[in-house]
Amino acid sequence: MRKFSFILTVLFFSSILLAACAQATTSPGQPQSTQLPADSVQINGAGATFPLPVYTEWIYAYQYVDPSVTLNYQGIGSGGGKKGIIDGTIDFAGSDSLLKDEEYTSGNDLQMYPMLAGAVVPIYNIEGVTQTLTLDRATLAGIYTASIKKWNDPAIAALNPIITLPDKDITAVHRSDGSGTTEIFTNALSSFSDDWKNNVGAGSAVEWPVDKAGNGIGGKGNQGVAAAVQNTPNSIGYVELSYAIANKIPFANMVNKAGQSVMADADSLASAITDYANSFDEKLTTKIVDGPGAGSWPIAGYTYIILHTTSMQDCTKAQKLLEFLNWALTDTAAGKRAADLGYSVLPDAVRTQVLDKLGQVTCNGNPVMTNK
Amino acid sequence: MNKTSSLLANRRSAPTWILRLRRLLNYGDRPWNFLTIAMSTLVIILVVGVGLLMWFDSQDSRLAIGWKFLTPTLNASWNPITSKYVAWPFIYGTIVTSLVAIIIALPVGLGIAIFLAELSPDWLRNPLGWLIELLAAIPSVVYGLWGIFVFLPVVVYPVGVFLGNTLGQIPGIGIFFKGPIPASGSSRLAAGLILSIMIVPTIAALTRDVLRAIPNSQREASLSLGATRWEMIWQVLIPYGLSGILGAVILALGRALGETMAVTMVIGNSIEGTPSLLRPGYTMSSVIANQFAEAVDRLHTSALVEIGLVLFVMTLLLNLAARFLVRQVARKTPQEARA
Repeated sequence: MRKFSFILTVLFFSSILLAACAQATTSPGQPQSTQLPADSVQINGAGATFPLPVYTEWIYAYQYVDPSVTLNYQGIGSGGGKKGIIDGTIDFAGSDSLLKDEEYTSGNDLQMYPMLAGAVVPIYNIEGVTQTLTLDRATLAGIYTASIKKWNDPAIAALNPIITLPDKDITAVHRSDGSGTTEIFTNALSSFSDDWKNNVGAGSAVEWPVDKAGNGIGGKGNQGVAAAVQNTPNSIGYVELSYAIANKIPFANMVNKAGQSVMADADSLASAITDYANSFDEKLTTKIVDGPGAGSWPIAGYTYIILHTTSMQDCTKAQKLLEFLNWALTDTAAGKRAADLGYSVLPDAVRTQVLDKLGQVTCNGNPVMTNK
Repeated sequence: MNKTSSLLANRRSAPTWILRLRRLLNYGDRPWNFLTIAMSTLVIILVVGVGLLMWFDSQDSRLAIGWKFLTPTLNASWNPITSKYVAWPFIYGTIVTSLVAIIIALPVGLGIAIFLAELSPDWLRNPLGWLIELLAAIPSVVYGLWGIFVFLPVVVYPVGVFLGNTLGQIPGIGIFFKGPIPASGSSRLAAGLILSIMIVPTIAALTRDVLRAIPNSQREASLSLGATRWEMIWQVLIPYGLSGILGAVILALGRALGETMAVTMVIGNSIEGTPSLLRPGYTMSSVIANQFAEAVDRLHTSALVEIGLVLFVMTLLLNLAARFLVRQVARKTPQEARA
């Protein structure tokens, strides 16, 4: 009797477990429609943490623009966002990294839309140095490939004639967590140096040559990198411009491709975007690192929103979502909020392309945006 | 008019399903039996389910990489770009930091426990015990922050420099203490020390309870035979409570193996070739926490899940070993002493 009821219990629980598993795998690509009062539309997004400060502010402000929508964005990482949109557990995803070809087919109607551009800046802590450091493309790549090991290396000294640099080893700090910031940074390094491109490559997490050389440290998140740089004399790291601005961390200037020394700010970021305004491919993605313009900040990247373009089931929700994106891209107050946080909004040339693409989104075969 | 009669009337006219439920509950034992079996089965299903899930989710990496994944190597590579994954640096980091932690925490925890249970004056016992328990309740991220800003520069860095200059010079074991320690103090040593602070309360509190539970007759007997207090503690109390103390150590080791946040914040998160304690390292739980959210490549995700599987198996083996050890110890303790 006891044995029998034990077996029965096991069967009972395993069947529940199986049923739960089966449920989870059946409906990919269909955003869940939850029952809510007719007057409120709940829209869920998740993904990259890079644009999180801006999205949070936008969502907060949008309550007053359209109170009938409740938006929600969770910063769970680009990878999580992509999984979410492919599995259909969220309505829109934020991502800094591009979808791969096979991911386009698995979600089959996915489309990426650039929303914002952000810059990544080198931060440093050198004993006895209070002036602003200047680096160029080759020295930054050299430091991270561990071919430049000391601060008084002739290449760095030549760029900073008025600074006395110590004869000390450079500790290079990088992100330990996979991150869009790292993706932008390694994209830039790949463009700066063939050595980096061929031996390391670009991605949200890479194998750091400085780790192998024994002078690399990984910090978790922008704050982890900033803390490590702050606590390690003679170190260098990289964080988002927005983070450096918010926390008043001084950052280095860069000599760009055109040979000009530039400071990271809204103008130099806008210049980098403009350099690549016409280089979008049919997937509406492009890199904006190492732009040729005289005033362009060389370490920058777009952050994207990913949507289903034809398979959204709830047309009201789809319309509300597109209205929000449209507002975010066109409203001047929204743009100003982003700029204040150290991000750059899209210039007109790019914005038109994005709005065009958004206009092509359909729900049940009908275009969602009626009056664009 | 009176309450009981109306209740009785109610009972008589109660719907049949209530009557049936009452009859079922009257059996008492059977539903209770079912419930407890169900709960304990849930635990089994959870453990097996987690194991199976990780086994299947790590299939890609198990097939693509094979045993090379676990092979100890100095120049291991963990490269999401070229899809080369070897987990050894993380396994090494986890083992070595946990070992450092337990080696430091065991004597300290034991000392605290003996003081609290046997030597402490009564007025100090409760506040001190309470403080120790409070230490166990501090979230690990707080330990991590305190580690970065206070513990690493003030304690770990000088200790690391000292170890590098002394033990690091000895041939042989010197490779485990080869400097220089990074100026921020981020290193395997830092992670081990932070972990030891985190597990001291676990060892101390549990061991204290074990010692308090030993019957006074044991103490009185050994004292009456002329043992000093020290002899009583070391020759009677500790052997008597050994299996309980071992249990405490295993629990603490389990916490050290799985600890993520504080370790990630102080270990430097760098895959370095040297086995030195003074150099930055990486642990299994840190790499999962760090990379899983942004792992987009299938093999990358799968390799991270496989690390989870290895950690799971490691803790399982540790528990089995502990159980075996406790049984051996219990067998060696003379039965008369326990009676």
